Amino acid sequence: MSLGLIPLFLPVAAPLATALAVLSLRRAPAVAPWLALAGAFVALAGSGSLLVGAAGGSTLQDRLPGLPGYPLRLVAEPETALLSVLVAAVSALVLVYAVGYMRGEEGQTRFFSGMSLFAAAMQALVLAGDWVLLLAAWEIIGFASWLLIGFYLESDSARRGATRAFLYTRTADLGLYLGVFVLISASGTSEIAGTMSVSGPAAVLAGLGLLLAAVGKSAQTPLSGWLSDAMSGPTPVSALLHSATLVSAGAILLIRAYPLLTPGVLLAVGLAGGVTAVVAGLTALAERDLKRLLAASTAGQYGFMLLAVGAGFPAAALFHLVAHAAMKSTLFLGAGVFQHERGSTAFSELEGAGRDRKTAYAGFAVAGLALAGVPPLAGFFSKDAILAAAFESGYAVVLGPLALIGTLLTGLYVGRALGLLLGPSRTSGSADRERTGGLGWMYAGLTGLAAAAAVLGAAKAPISALLGAELPESLIVAAVGLLLAVVGISAGWIVSADRLLGPLREPAARGFCVAGGFDGLFARPALVVASAVDRADAGLHRGVVAVGGAALALAEVSRLTDEGGIDRVIGGLVRGARSLGARVRSLQSGLVHRELALATIGGALILAVLAAGAVLGLSGG
Amino acid sequence: VITLYTALAVGAVLFGVGLYGALSQTNLVMIMMGVEVMLGAAMVNLVAFWRFLHPDAFSGQMFVLIVMTVMALEMAVGFGVGTARFRSKGSVEMEEARDLKG
Repeated sequence: MSLGLIPLFLPVAAPLATALAVLSLRRAPAVAPWLALAGAFVALAGSGSLLVGAAGGSTLQDRLPGLPGYPLRLVAEPETALLSVLVAAVSALVLVYAVGYMRGEEGQTRFFSGMSLFAAAMQALVLAGDWVLLLAAWEIIGFASWLLIGFYLESDSARRGATRAFLYTRTADLGLYLGVFVLISASGTSEIAGTMSVSGPAAVLAGLGLLLAAVGKSAQTPLSGWLSDAMSGPTPVSALLHSATLVSAGAILLIRAYPLLTPGVLLAVGLAGGVTAVVAGLTALAERDLKRLLAASTAGQYGFMLLAVGAGFPAAALFHLVAHAAMKSTLFLGAGVFQHERGSTAFSELEGAGRDRKTAYAGFAVAGLALAGVPPLAGFFSKDAILAAAFESGYAVVLGPLALIGTLLTGLYVGRALGLLLGPSRTSGSADRERTGGLGWMYAGLTGLAAAAAVLGAAKAPISALLGAELPESLIVAAVGLLLAVVGISAGWIVSADRLLGPLREPAARGFCVAGGFDGLFARPALVVASAVDRADAGLHRGVVAVGGAALALAEVSRLTDEGGIDRVIGGLVRGARSLGARVRSLQSGLVHRELALATIGGALILAVLAAGAVLGLSGG
Repeated sequence: VITLYTALAVGAVLFGVGLYGALSQTNLVMIMMGVEVMLGAAMVNLVAFWRFLHPDAFSGQMFVLIVMTVMALEMAVGFGVGTARFRSKGSVEMEEARDLKG
């Protein structure tokens, strides 16, 4: 390995080494945060140098020994380098925040090693140059998220949420396996770039498989239910999971596989995204919990990204992914500050929390307004690009309105959250003061991300140049989008969610359960199949038992025949021979003259018989 | 002149005397003497058949010689048994010898 390749490995190796170091130093949990921070910033340095290199036009790649014939590849091209920087930056800032957030909590070792493993796996996923490594990273991300969502082991809802998230994403992962196997068998190589030339039915099948995986991982309708339950984890976990790691893996997968997708699959991707943007927007508006609102909002924003991919502009999706990572992590970090302040994330408890924590509220507001698409914040530019993409695509009639409704809903729920946080304070604000230690660290992370959320819009031109793809823009669409956002924010601020949604409120609060959600689509059919198999098994069991019973009956019959028939016949023979023997023995007196007499009589009888035979034979002849 | 039938009649009488002796006596020696007489009767018959029916074939004479050999052997074995019996039990009365009863 030449020295020039070190930056390629740093983003993956540094967090991984950190995770191992934290685990091996578990006797000293106090060093865990520092180790994790060091690993994150080393990874950030590596990613940064990768991005600089990629911007300069050089593509780094290296092979590692993997499966025979399918080496593992790491590749740093503009797209993957950009994502790598994003992951490294967000995870570093979230870790800075987490140092403050987790102060005084139990299980520092578990938390920081899990976060590092999470970041390492995500880096491996974005830098992967072949499907095998991507698949492995994809699975490790699922595992790490399970560890982190279930961090509060003693809480029932955390355990349930973690298992639920794991099962949802695992089920959808089958699509990724299908897609990857189809791609590798169709093209004969596992290199991602090499499989992009696959066409025909194989491409359709693989595309649909990848779409299923992305829908599960990015919590798109109808597989979105797990995301809200995953809120039981610590807030930094939610921030990381929603912005740059787990959930974004689905969108990243589709962005990277874009050249492969056929027009039909693209339409399916766009529709899945557009429908999710609307459905998740309604869900977010109806939520009664700040973190669950943000979770539903995440699903909606990834819906926008899928919509952009479906519209044919993966660059726009990537730009929104970058902007969203900054905005959503800021929102979560702000929510975490309020949570520490009030000890809960329910809106009924949080009302007015923004008045007590003005700095956090400022960061939260910047990110919220950016998310809604207010200029000059990042979200305005990225959302404008997506709206324009929707209207420039071949399916503008469908995708355009969906994108606009999604924008309006984004404005509404952002306005609602901002309004409620600044509303009249119900509690004195001294409820949970002892947990507010470490605010400095929390504000540091929050400020860094909020600043990114504010100014990332300026990165539009550089990113466009880096990716070599023109980002769509349109003045009219931007104006309409801005109008909708402003209308949404004001309406959401002033009008209550009940009045806005009316009868839709209750179904929306339950996440609509489109097609029964995961339970209806996978769990119940699986249970039906399981019970059918169980019945078949029981029938088989009865059949086997019946065959065994028949064999036993046959054996019993043959036993009876044996005992009653054959044995009795043999016994009779034996008894007959014995009694005959007993009778014959009485002849054996041992007296010589008697024996002689018997012998004489016998001889005489034989003689008589022979003589009679001779006489008869003579007369007969 | 002696005819075949005269010889056969003498043989039959001898056989009857021997049989009676073997059956009526209880002494081992007397029983064996009866058996000897019966064998002698059989030899008279054999010689008569050879002399009157097949004077050219000598197998009849051979048969008689074999019977005589058997008689000698029988005597030797029989008296051996009788001597042993007398030495151990002091008697050769066959009414008393029931040792072989199973």
